[in-house]
Amino acid sequence: MKNVLIVAAREFRQIASMRSFWLTLLIMPLSIAAGAVAPQLFDKDQADRVMIIDRTGGSEAQALGQRFKLDEARDKLSALSRYVQRHHLERADPAALWAQHDRWYSDADVARFVAEGGPAAAKAKIARVKAEDTPEFTPPEPDFELVPVPASLAKVPDAQLDRALKPVLKPTDKDAKAVDYIILIPASFGESPLVRLWANKQPSQQFVGIVQDVLTRGLRTRFLAAQGVSPDAAESASTIAPTLAISTPPPGGGAREAMLVRSILPLAAAYLLMISLMLSGSWMLQGTVEERSNKLLETVLACVSPQELMYGKLLGTAGVGLFMIAVWVGCGIFAGYATHGAIADLIRPALDPLTSPGTILALIYFFVVGYVTIAIMFLAIGAMSDSMRDAQGYLMPVLLLILLPITILMQAVLGGNNGGVLMEVLTWVPIWTPFAVLARLGLGIPTWEVVGTGILLAAFTAAEMVLLGRLFRASLLAQGQRPNVREVISRMRAVPS
Amino acid sequence: MSVLTLERVSKRFDQTIAVDDLSFSVEQGTVFGFLGGNGAGKTTSLRMVLDIIRPTSGKIEVLGRPPGRENAADIGFLPEERGLYRQMTALDTIAYFGRLKGMTAADAKLEGAALLDRFGLAASTKQTVDKLSKGMAQKVQLATALVNRPRLLILDEPFSGLDPVNQGLLEDEIRRISAGGSTVVFSTHVMQHAERLCDWLLLLGRGRKMFEGTLDDARAQLPARLALVAKNDPSRLPGVESAEDHGEAEPGWRRWDVRLEPGVEPGHVLEQCVAEQFPLRRFEQVHASLHDVFVHIVGTPETEQ
Repeated sequence: MKNVLIVAAREFRQIASMRSFWLTLLIMPLSIAAGAVAPQLFDKDQADRVMIIDRTGGSEAQALGQRFKLDEARDKLSALSRYVQRHHLERADPAALWAQHDRWYSDADVARFVAEGGPAAAKAKIARVKAEDTPEFTPPEPDFELVPVPASLAKVPDAQLDRALKPVLKPTDKDAKAVDYIILIPASFGESPLVRLWANKQPSQQFVGIVQDVLTRGLRTRFLAAQGVSPDAAESASTIAPTLAISTPPPGGGAREAMLVRSILPLAAAYLLMISLMLSGSWMLQGTVEERSNKLLETVLACVSPQELMYGKLLGTAGVGLFMIAVWVGCGIFAGYATHGAIADLIRPALDPLTSPGTILALIYFFVVGYVTIAIMFLAIGAMSDSMRDAQGYLMPVLLLILLPITILMQAVLGGNNGGVLMEVLTWVPIWTPFAVLARLGLGIPTWEVVGTGILLAAFTAAEMVLLGRLFRASLLAQGQRPNVREVISRMRAVPS
Repeated sequence: MSVLTLERVSKRFDQTIAVDDLSFSVEQGTVFGFLGGNGAGKTTSLRMVLDIIRPTSGKIEVLGRPPGRENAADIGFLPEERGLYRQMTALDTIAYFGRLKGMTAADAKLEGAALLDRFGLAASTKQTVDKLSKGMAQKVQLATALVNRPRLLILDEPFSGLDPVNQGLLEDEIRRISAGGSTVVFSTHVMQHAERLCDWLLLLGRGRKMFEGTLDDARAQLPARLALVAKNDPSRLPGVESAEDHGEAEPGWRRWDVRLEPGVEPGHVLEQCVAEQFPLRRFEQVHASLHDVFVHIVGTPETEQ
């Protein structure tokens, strides 16, 4: 056993001394962090400045302004709801709109939120129950900011506006703030549907949508009034819209989003198993090929038995793989608790399955046994190869055989599928069992299936240890051409004397 | 006391007999030369001693025990095909093999550093092997075999691939270890090294033992030869098998290469020369080289397989 540990420690050190190991170790958390932070980088940090020249008397400009304010308040209410949910602050006012999550806030809801005092009133209530280390709620920046029309511009005739607006959209003075959008609603609005929009960039879909929506209502009101309908009735008619009562099941009730969040940890385990196996397995393969090509084996075998060498290598490589995963998981947990943003939102619900000891056991069992099952294949390939080129010849078909079905499986699980013939086949064929069971743990897999596949996997791994162990032993000092299939089988059948 | 014993050991690979009914024993403190051409069965025999492969039949005893890794603490081994971990430092490499031979990490490092110092590599202890020259790497390889101060040092073709400086270093180490009471078994097909170093020799041909004994015993396998400077043809002298004329030594005197009949002592021929008043200016016994003995017993080392 001592020699196994010495060999394992050397393998670990050898891999840990490689630059590629540390790069790989860092790339994973960095790329995940970049993925979480990137959307924030794309967020606008300043509201678009909007100027409305309304020649109709100001009613349309007022309607647009109200709509901008309403959308801004809706964004604040949604953000507040997410903040309250994340920090479990519902008890501040269980009846408040912001304590009701996973719902769409209607215009009436938003109006009520504003009437009740908006974010300021909510923050005051929350402050009474909030823990000291819980961060303050920061409302999102508004998307649009209305700027008043300067008197000088208001007097400019419509025909001369093109020239007059140029310095407003692109001011030459560095300190002057540019206006992003300028809307002209002509005095003839109603008789003619024409409205002009100047922009200092490609107008956003959101902005054009809002303007279109509000002004369509204005046009309809004017049209109905022209038809003799009373102004109040015309106004009401233009705002008639169905009230959608939107309800979503509570988390855990089967909605796809909730299901994906719950299954992310086992699925992530399957991904991590695959990635760490591929990386550490190929490093181990490289090490074994090096021992063969550098003619080191005889010296080593004079001190340790082939079994000790094999177990040491497996242990060392498993150590590398588990170390990588421990670092990644550690980074994840750190991110989950140190940040209060998107990463925490993703990770915290994902830790839910860890409340079940059975799930934890299954996760660990299939992860570790799965690791050994696949790693020993890499080891046997390394023992048969005199060079990395030789090894690639064996490795490619083995990798394709393992990885192609797994990729399909992952896609299926991400799509919420947890059944079907393919899923069952992948679950019960031992080389795919660890990935399939890990991926399905979050979606729910019958206990009998977990136990059955677990026993089958253990039996398969034991048989693999015996057969590939013989192949490893027989191949270590074998020389000559790459063994063909018949030779490989004969080495597996050869019982060591 | 016998350190290594093989009793009727054979090893067969499919249809090929690599070692055939081989028996010998090595006494403690001796330098034992295991001689034979390529394919004679030397490496196979040594691998069986180290338990890297198992014999088909026969019995092996190493330091009083059956072959196995439990002997590793007392054995040093330098294989014919040598290599090192390229990314490990010189000291770590030696310490790693020391640990595999049962040493503590501290002892292995201490002994490794002492060996590197003795081999003139004290400045290279922290250098990775891929940055060492070939000659330096050869010294590190030797150090991996010596780190545990072995009671039995097994060297398989140790001089092959070594530069002359390292050949001298290795010869010195073999003498040093032997002087310290340890036993050295080394295989070679270069007879000069065996001639200089070995107390006891075993000649192997096609897996079978062809000869075992001291260097003098080996030489005695060949008929004695004399170098004479004489006036007359010595082939008529009693006990002489043949005489070859090698030309004039000085006016009236010729050089002769004389081969004696098996079992005839040179002193007997000298007596005859005196008794018969056979004129002589030179009478010298020529010792056969180990190479001659090898060729006589086994065939040429290169073609023996």
